[in-house]
Amino acid sequence: MAAYYDELLRLCGFEQEEIDEERPRVEKAFERLGIGPEDMDTADHWVRQNHDVTLRGVRKLLGAWLKELIDVVVAKDEGKKVVYFGFPAILGPGLILSASSQEVMVTAPDMVLDHTMGQIFNKLIPILEAGEFHGLPPGHALCSLWQAKIGGIALGMIPVPDLALASSYYCDMGSKADDLVAALYGVPVAYIDGVMDSPWGEFPEYLPERVHYLGAQINQALKKAEEVLGIEIVPDAWERSQKESRPFRENLVRLVEFMKADPVPISITVIQLMEGLASSSTGRGIREGIKAMEILIPEMEERVRAGIGVSEKGAPRVMLRAGHASDPRVTRLVEEAGLAVPLTFILGSSAGGVKVTPAGNYNTPGEIIADYEMTGGYYHGTEAQIKFYEKAAKLMKLDGFIATYIYNCRPVATVSHPQKKYLEEKTGLPVLSLEIDNFDSRAYSADSLRTKVETFAEMLKEKKRAAKA
Amino acid sequence: MKALEKLDEHLTTRLDEVNKEKEQGRKVIGYPAGGYFPEELALACDAIPLSFIQAGNNDVLKDAGAYICRFFDPFWRSQIGYLTSGKDPFYTSADLIVVPITDNHIRVFSNTLGYYTPEKASFVFGVPHVKDEYALDYYLQGIKRLKTKLEEFTGVEITDSRLEHAIELCNRERELFREISLLRKADHPAVASKDFVALNHGSFLADKEVMIEILESFLKELEDTAPLPKDGPRILLTGSTLAQGDSKVMDLIEESGGVIIMEEFAEGIRPYWNEVKPQGDLMTNLAETYFMDRVCPGWFRPGTERLDFLIRLAKDYRAAGLVWYQLLYRESYKVESYFFPARLKKETGLPMLTLESEYDAMETGPLTTRIETFIETIRR
Repeated sequence: MAAYYDELLRLCGFEQEEIDEERPRVEKAFERLGIGPEDMDTADHWVRQNHDVTLRGVRKLLGAWLKELIDVVVAKDEGKKVVYFGFPAILGPGLILSASSQEVMVTAPDMVLDHTMGQIFNKLIPILEAGEFHGLPPGHALCSLWQAKIGGIALGMIPVPDLALASSYYCDMGSKADDLVAALYGVPVAYIDGVMDSPWGEFPEYLPERVHYLGAQINQALKKAEEVLGIEIVPDAWERSQKESRPFRENLVRLVEFMKADPVPISITVIQLMEGLASSSTGRGIREGIKAMEILIPEMEERVRAGIGVSEKGAPRVMLRAGHASDPRVTRLVEEAGLAVPLTFILGSSAGGVKVTPAGNYNTPGEIIADYEMTGGYYHGTEAQIKFYEKAAKLMKLDGFIATYIYNCRPVATVSHPQKKYLEEKTGLPVLSLEIDNFDSRAYSADSLRTKVETFAEMLKEKKRAAKA
Repeated sequence: MKALEKLDEHLTTRLDEVNKEKEQGRKVIGYPAGGYFPEELALACDAIPLSFIQAGNNDVLKDAGAYICRFFDPFWRSQIGYLTSGKDPFYTSADLIVVPITDNHIRVFSNTLGYYTPEKASFVFGVPHVKDEYALDYYLQGIKRLKTKLEEFTGVEITDSRLEHAIELCNRERELFREISLLRKADHPAVASKDFVALNHGSFLADKEVMIEILESFLKELEDTAPLPKDGPRILLTGSTLAQGDSKVMDLIEESGGVIIMEEFAEGIRPYWNEVKPQGDLMTNLAETYFMDRVCPGWFRPGTERLDFLIRLAKDYRAAGLVWYQLLYRESYKVESYFFPARLKKETGLPMLTLESEYDAMETGPLTTRIETFIETIRR
C-alpha cells in the first residue's frame, strides 16, 4: 500500500520495488528525522524548484543521497558499526574500512544531512541550531558542517558513531570538534595527522617525509579502527575499494568532456550532487551514484547533440569554486545571472580527471594514499589549490572565476585574497572573490549574494560583447 | 625593581644594537611566537634570534585586511599587518624569517610571507598535532633542515660544542623563569603578573646573556621584596596567545581585585618548564624538549595533556578561578572552552570565565563587567 512518501521517493529516482523493499527502513529513518506527511508538499516543491528533475539521472542522484541518509540513520539498528569522517577528507582510509567489512558503515553524515535535509526537505536549520546549542555557537566562524553533525547527533537523528576518523591533516576545527564528540559522547577518535607546511613555490614538489608521516598516521588510524571496531582489514582492501569506486571517477572524467560544450548541458548543481557523493560516501552512495551517472551521461550527450543547455549559447563561462551543499539556490544564482558554469574546483582537480602522477614508490596503504593526496594538491597547501584553478581556465576555456571562500572554514579561507591576485595575474581573467558559507545559507543567502554576482556577470557579458565587436 | 628598569633600558636600545650587529655581519633570525623554534640553533650559528610577539592594536588588523579575510585569529592577522606594513621595525630587521607551522592561523601568515613578500628570506617547517614517535621524527627532520638552512645562511657551522653552549644558555634562562614562576605558589607572592609577563616578553627580544643577568638580579631583588599588597582571588589565566601590547584582560583582572598567579599561553609566553639535555644527540634532545616534553597547545589533538596540565596548575598554585582568554576565530580554543569547564568544576570545584577578543577597544566595557562579576562571585 502506498504511503505518504512514495511520491517523493519516486521523484527522487526510487523504483517502486525499491520503495516497497525499503519501506520499514524508510519509515524508521523518517520518524527519527522528524519527517512526516506534512513535509511532503514542501519537499516536492523544493526539489522541483532546485533540481532539473526532467533528467532521470538527476532524480537517481537525489535518490542515492537519500539511500545514504537512510543507511546512516538506521545503521546501528541493523547491527552495523558506524564510523564518521570529517569533510573534506582523504577518503582512502574510509574506503579501506568499507571494503574490509560489510558490518561497518563509513560516511560523512554532515554532508549527507546537508544534501538531504537541506537539498530535499529544506529542514536543515533546526539541525544547525542544535549544533550551535551543543558547543558550536554562532558568531565565531565555526564550521557549519560540524554544526550539522553535532546537531544531528544531539537530536538523535544520526547515531553516535563507534569511531571518528579525524582529518587532522587539513582542518583544526574538525579535529577539535572530534574532541568535542569524544567529550560529549565518549567516542574514540583516530587522528590522521598531517602538516600543511609547504612553503610558497614548492608545489608540485613535496618532501618525502610528508608522505612518510601522513602515511604512518593513516596506517596507525587503520590499526586503531581494527581494534575499536573488532574487524580485520583485508589485504586487498585498497585494491578492492579502488576497483569499486573507479567507475565513479571514470564517469566524472566523461562528464568533464560534456561540460566543455557550449551551451553547458546541465546545471552545476547536478555536478555538485556527484562531487559531494564521491567525497562523502564509501558504500551504497557510491554504487548508487555510479548507476545514476550511467543514466545521466547519455542524457547529457543527448542535450549536447541537440544544443540544449542551462545557459545561452555563448554565455560567459566561469568556474565556481564549489557548489552549495545544502541550498542549491545559491549555486543556481550564478546560472540565473546568465553565466555558464562548466566546472567547480573539484571537477577541475585530480578528482575530475586532471592527471596527477604520484612521485614515490611506496608499499604501505597509508603511504600510497598519502603520496596520491600530496600530488592531488588539496592537502598539499594553499598554493596547490590555486594552481588547480589556473589549470581549469584552460581546461574549460573560461572567461572568469567566481572564487568563493568559506568564511568559517580556515583551510579554505586561506585562499581568500591570494587566489584573486594569483589568478588575475596568471590567467588575465577577471576574478570575483566571494565570501560565502557553502553549508549554511542563513547568513549568505542567494539574495544577499545576488547583486555581486549579477554585476560580475554583466561585466563579463560586456567584455565578451566588446571582444566580438 | 631595578632589574625591570634594566630590561626597559635594554629593550629601548635593542633595535639600534641589533642593527649595529647586522652592520658587523651578524644575521638576524626572526620568528613568530609559539615556542617551536629552538633559539639554540640561531645562537649556535652566532645569529640573533628575535621573536615577533607584538599585537593588540586593532589598527594593524586593517593593514592585514589587504592580504587576508578577517576570519583568522587577530594575533596572526596582526603579524601579517606588521610584516606587510613595516610598522614593527623588528620585522624589517630580520634577515631570515623562520615559521614553524602549527595550525591554519600560522599557515596563513606563512602564505602571506611567501606569496606577498617573496623578497623576505623565509624558512618553513611543520609541527605535527599529535605526540607519537612519527610526529617526533617529523619535527626532528624539520629542525634538522632548519639547522642546515641556518648554517648556509650565516656561513657558520653549528658544531656540537657551539650548540651545547647555546643549550646551556637557554636552559639557564628557562631555569630562572621556572624559579620565579614557582615563587608565585606562595600564599602571598611577591611577583606581580605584569612583571613576570614583561620579563617573558622581554626575553623574546633581549640579548640572551643580558636577559639572564636581568633574571638573576630580579630573583635576587625578590629576596628583599615585600609580598604584593593585594589579597584578592588567585586567578589562573590561560589561552592561546598573550601578546606584547595585549594587556587589557590582565589589567582588568588586577583592577577588579584579582591576583594572577599563573599565565599559561601557547604563544607569547616562553615555555620554561623543561630543559634540553646538553649531552648526547643534541638535535634529538632539542626535538624531545621543544616538541614532546612541552605541554601541547590547544590545537593538539586531543588537547587532553594541556587540560590535565591546567588542572594540575590550578591545584598547585591554589587558584580560586580560571580565566580562559581566547582570541576570536581560534577555533581549537573556542571548542575546548565549551567542554572544559565541566571537567574543571568536577576535578577542582573551580569556576571558569571565558573571554574573547579581537583587539577592539569597544570590548573593554563588556569585558570589565564580566571580569568584575566573576571576581566578585569568587570572593563570595
